[in-house]
Amino acid sequence: MSEKRVRTVKLNVINEPKDSYTGGKSSLCPGCGHDQISNVIISAAWDNAIQPHRIAKMSGIGCSSKTPAYYLGQSHGFNTVHGRMPSVTTGANVVNKDLTYIGVSGDGDSASIGIGQLIHAIRRNLDMVYIVENNGVYGLTKGQYSATADVGSKKKKGPVNETQPIDLCAMAINLGCSFVARSFSGSKKQLTALLKAAMSHKGFALIDVISPCVTFNNNDESLRSYGYVKDNQAELHSVGYIPHFSPLEQVEVPAGSYRDVTLHDGSTMRLETISEDHDIGDAVAALSALHKADANKKHVTGILYFDGEKPALDVDLDLHETPLVEMGQDLLRPSPEQLEEVIASFRG
Amino acid sequence: MDKIVNDFTINIATANGTGSQSANLILLQTLFDMGIPVSGKNLFPSNISGLPTWYIVRLSEQGYQAPGDRTHIQILVNPATWEEDLASLEPGTVVIWNTDSKMAMEREDVISYPVPMTKIARKLNAKLARMIANVVYVGVLAELLGMDQDVLENAISKQFGGKEKAIELNAEAARLGRAYCAEELTKSDSYAVESREVEEGGFFIEGNEAIALGSIFGGIQMLGWYPITPSSSVAEGIISWLPKLRTHEGKATYAVIQAEDELAAAGMIIGAGWAGARGLTATSGPGISLMQEFIGLAYFAEIPCVFWDVNRVGPSTGLPTRTQQGDLTMLYESSHGDTKHIVFIPGTVEECFEFGWKVFDASERYQTPVFGFSDLDLGMNKWASRGFEYPDQEFDRGKLVLTQEQMESIENYGRYRDVDGDGIPYRTLPGSGLDPILYRGTGHAEDGTYSEKPDVYYKLMQRLGRKIDGARDYLPEPIIKEDDEIDIGVIFYGSMENTIQEIEDIVEEKTGMKMSTCRVRALPLHSEVEAFVEKHDKVIVLEINRDAQLYGIIRKEYPVHLLNKLLSVAYSDGMPPRGRLYAERIVETLEEAEI
Repeated sequence: MSEKRVRTVKLNVINEPKDSYTGGKSSLCPGCGHDQISNVIISAAWDNAIQPHRIAKMSGIGCSSKTPAYYLGQSHGFNTVHGRMPSVTTGANVVNKDLTYIGVSGDGDSASIGIGQLIHAIRRNLDMVYIVENNGVYGLTKGQYSATADVGSKKKKGPVNETQPIDLCAMAINLGCSFVARSFSGSKKQLTALLKAAMSHKGFALIDVISPCVTFNNNDESLRSYGYVKDNQAELHSVGYIPHFSPLEQVEVPAGSYRDVTLHDGSTMRLETISEDHDIGDAVAALSALHKADANKKHVTGILYFDGEKPALDVDLDLHETPLVEMGQDLLRPSPEQLEEVIASFRG
Repeated sequence: MDKIVNDFTINIATANGTGSQSANLILLQTLFDMGIPVSGKNLFPSNISGLPTWYIVRLSEQGYQAPGDRTHIQILVNPATWEEDLASLEPGTVVIWNTDSKMAMEREDVISYPVPMTKIARKLNAKLARMIANVVYVGVLAELLGMDQDVLENAISKQFGGKEKAIELNAEAARLGRAYCAEELTKSDSYAVESREVEEGGFFIEGNEAIALGSIFGGIQMLGWYPITPSSSVAEGIISWLPKLRTHEGKATYAVIQAEDELAAAGMIIGAGWAGARGLTATSGPGISLMQEFIGLAYFAEIPCVFWDVNRVGPSTGLPTRTQQGDLTMLYESSHGDTKHIVFIPGTVEECFEFGWKVFDASERYQTPVFGFSDLDLGMNKWASRGFEYPDQEFDRGKLVLTQEQMESIENYGRYRDVDGDGIPYRTLPGSGLDPILYRGTGHAEDGTYSEKPDVYYKLMQRLGRKIDGARDYLPEPIIKEDDEIDIGVIFYGSMENTIQEIEDIVEEKTGMKMSTCRVRALPLHSEVEAFVEKHDKVIVLEINRDAQLYGIIRKEYPVHLLNKLLSVAYSDGMPPRGRLYAERIVETLEEAEI
């Protein structure tokens, strides 16, 4: 009997191959951190076994915002206008709350032109994953500083940046964002775990991913270059993620230095607290970690803040269980008798 | 002295925030309930409290609804505008003035009725004296003109719906005003009111509230809005009626979000439209200016969404509480690059309701942003109506592909492919799994993928042009009133509807000429509008702006042989159009054209 080697395609629990989650070919610069993030989005969505067509890919304008073409080819997407992806996602979410909304944005999109929309989406606790692919530069317009560029950053040409950067994670924590994390596009394992957790979270999940620009922000002086980040990254947590359909869910929860966080869909996020005892429910501790890392010119990564109790926007709106888009004229147009009653009330 | 019955104008000068609005609405309602054709115009400042405000009540047996050319009865309460108001009156005008205002009556050529309004009110309720004083002048007017006390008290009761104490207090104030007039003043003017046959079922409603109701009967699912005068009451009307009209099993069948700004409001309704729902925002010119980028996205990516513009006076912040038709061109060609948009233009509150639901059908049918164009005059003043007609058409969701079977029946589907030859492609929705694409504001091929190819872009833009052009005769046809032998035609639109009859009558009185009229109710222009121009020797385009915006659109689109027929009368000073002013300009324009 000859041994026949059969290559089997690995399927997730809803019997989808990973290919169902891939997209078109990237047109970004070779080696761009953004492409690594795209791959992580593919893996995380496949791992979480979300039906690909039940995901909506949202983006604004910029290098990062082009990437939805490179993943989740079976999902509808909307590459909107610069900095305004949050409002478009808000409108879509409230009329179809049952989709998983994954937004990808950049630091120009999120920290400058669209910072107001980001702030208000956080304030409303819009149920979406919001990934900032943060490189401190405007890539598509060829390398101008963005509002997240660190003081002292230097482009290949031109002056040193002297303007204070905006820390989107600190801002989000101050705004009461229900899920705030930071990661690095080169830390595939950590980012995958964070993204899977974010996809399961019911509410606004911000993941600020340091994603170095290989073309415009990769000289040694830049605080967002590969070399700098790899040498100066302080991991706050290592995150393990167990999807809710895993039989291991309850079995593998150890006591002691582990802490489990139950997410909205019943899935559990397990945190291994490395930096002493950071409590992810403690906003002040999270801010302190960010400020300390900043003072030491380091990036603190991991989940920084989490609040699973805060109601999401669609819950606040007291919507009917059936998504609005699935309602027909019978529910959406009041009756002739109701019109008569309205008119009668004016007649007094 | 001959009596002047039901044909005069009352001007009430008060200060903002003093409660005069209730008194004025009571006056309006009383006259209306007596069966007298009456209209009210609120001229209010951009201010919360203290600045001058005027309310103009016009009684007209001909049914004229514009503010009259002159004031016949002036109520003077506000010291701030006292001298100016007084100086502007023609000799013989009736002046009812508050002797407690510490202002002098310096005109001897007017008919003066001094009334201690505040003192009378103070006797009744010292705390609320300032507010009640307003109802005192309503009582004086009621006695002076001969209004029915029962009708007046019924109007008070309507105004304060169910609040017994307020009803009682205000009714007593009106009675005291009446009594003062009867006992202390001698009537020396000739104005009077007389009841007429009351039309059954009449009521007052503001255009904005009519739009709000129309939207709800049109199935609005998402309202994203940002407050701005004079459109806020569209959104607030929707918000107040939705819980009464649109819940299912105790839960909302709608979502309302007050956005952080107009840009976000536009983004939200575009997101809703993309997801497959009916989204609407209401704003004014400054808001549309801010929404321009998003409007272009919705046009290019072909997303249904509805924008109502309740026009106020521009440019810039302009006169925020005054009226104009200054946004028409901006709406029609909104956003950068080549665009063209569908614009619905109601001229009455009934049309505000009707177009309120129709805009959604048009938007989904043509997969494009659709505008409703109203103005402060129509939107924020109360207009008489007898009722709204229930929608006579089912929802038109357009070429929406919801199932795999539907998809298979379409030959050669592509999101942006003109399968049927009408410029309108088919579309699928997020979450359906049917031919998903990444929607974009960048150039795209027929399958939705990114493209910068010259022929692809050219063909796409030609198709979009054809698509909107194809809407012309689907949209509301113009209202044309003409006789065969008439040489002069007038094209007008929107709230000018409420002044046109008076303009026609004045022009005829001055020149002996009759005019045909054509009220445009949508852009792009219906083919009947062009036929109207063909038929007449000269056509005046009449509008409330400086730059002759509709005239410009017509000149740009119509064939050369029609252009020398066209004349323009465009005038805007922030006021609702007054008949004589526009009529005189029409006569001048005709004289200049040697007609």
